[in-house]
Amino acid sequence: MQRFLAFLLVVPMVAACGGESADDTTQLTVFAGSSLTVAFTDRIGPNFEAAHEGATVVFNFGASDSLAAQIQSEGSADVFASASGTWMDAVEEDPGVSDRNDFVQNRLVIITPTDNPAGIASTDDLATSGVQLVLAAEGVPVGDYSREALDNAGILADAEANVVSNEEDNASVVAKITAGEADAGIVYESDISAAAGNDVAAIEIPDDTNVIATYPIAVVTGASNADLAVEFVAYVTGPEGQAALTEYGFEPIT
Amino acid sequence: MRARTPLPLWILAGTGAVFVALPLSALLIRAPWGDLGTALTGVGAGTAFRLSIVVSLVATGLSLLLGVPLAWVLARAPIPGRSVLRAIVVLPVVLPPVVGGLGLLQALGRGGVIGRWLYEGLGVQLTFTIWGAIAATTFVSMPLVVLATESGLRSIDRRYERAAAALGASPAYSIRRIVLPMLAPQLAAGAVLAWARALGEFGATITFAGNFAGRTQTLPLAVYEARLTDPGGAILLSLLLVALSLGVLVAMRDRITQAR
Repeated sequence: MQRFLAFLLVVPMVAACGGESADDTTQLTVFAGSSLTVAFTDRIGPNFEAAHEGATVVFNFGASDSLAAQIQSEGSADVFASASGTWMDAVEEDPGVSDRNDFVQNRLVIITPTDNPAGIASTDDLATSGVQLVLAAEGVPVGDYSREALDNAGILADAEANVVSNEEDNASVVAKITAGEADAGIVYESDISAAAGNDVAAIEIPDDTNVIATYPIAVVTGASNADLAVEFVAYVTGPEGQAALTEYGFEPIT
Repeated sequence: MRARTPLPLWILAGTGAVFVALPLSALLIRAPWGDLGTALTGVGAGTAFRLSIVVSLVATGLSLLLGVPLAWVLARAPIPGRSVLRAIVVLPVVLPPVVGGLGLLQALGRGGVIGRWLYEGLGVQLTFTIWGAIAATTFVSMPLVVLATESGLRSIDRRYERAAAALGASPAYSIRRIVLPMLAPQLAAGAVLAWARALGEFGATITFAGNFAGRTQTLPLAVYEARLTDPGGAILLSLLLVALSLGVLVAMRDRITQAR
């Protein structure tokens, strides 16, 4: 019993020691909206590390609103990349930001199973009675944007009558469509890029009805590593970062 | 004289109890009690509550219908690979429900191994329907019935059945009049546990059946969705689930102790 108790005490101490040995490299903490997960972990992070000797980039992905709240309560972020201007505004107010730039746009797109069983060809087809439509739930950013786009197209009521499931996030909408369970869904272009590797067919939503999300990035005031943070923002907004993000379905700022 | 409980045991046990009780108390403390009326009488909550009751009861019924015979076979039939079969049948208890949901999607979904045939041949689609929610819930609940019933069957003294047979009772008669009455406490425990599990089912349901009010949005799914748009309402709905489940567990304990 005593030995077991001693073990319980030793484990956290060893774990605590482990954290300190990373001091010889420079660590950059980046908080980023979850839609950036694949592009940032596969490409942006490794390439930035390769170009900056001794730099380690640590990502914290999540819903932009929760990330903003974490930054305000704990202040542990060097860089914040938000999926919406609203939450960057919140962080700009408290604790403040510098080097704020809009760096990519993400548009909504209609997805169907590859064999497109309901023969969806345009936004209007989503209003056809009997089409099984899957959307993200209200309150999820992409869910709200989807409804806004359907409203812009003037078919919100009919399309909502076709909704068979309100999913918890973009990934769940994509999963229901790749499994062939529903006829159509609406997600971000970046959710279905070739690089993300999802097996679905895509139908464009025209610009005049589409809802386009603009992503801002900035250095958070009080960053423990401000110089490196400025370089990271410059990398993401620079030609190399932009090219990588385009590959993952994002669009450059127009 | 009863052995004294050592102090370290008290400390660890106390920590354990507080750890479990704290989140539940926090829900009570943080609940916007003023909104109780609107949250619980709102259309959404009522619909989800009714759906939860229907889905969990039907799933418990199906679990008994299929699980009791399964337990019988596991306990008494001379079958090869019994332990493997038992492990497979009980697996949903330990499996993350989302894994079960994914499996159900691949098996019974519109594009699934069997589901494709159901959909194209018979026009039957389980996903996004109440039957999908029932299927997902039965998947996670049935093992509890199997476990309880099988252990019950194994603990029954078979001499009663032999005596009945010697006196001329048919197997069916001896099941009805001897085995089932002796098995009643375990059947009840299995059914109540299965019902409680069914009431709390979330992962398999949202993964397989989706989330739509009135069709597949049971109380746990309603809590998950309300969390985004109405955090206070989500807490009140959570407390409704806590109250229901606590009631079930307390009632079950009495049922078992009385039966013994």
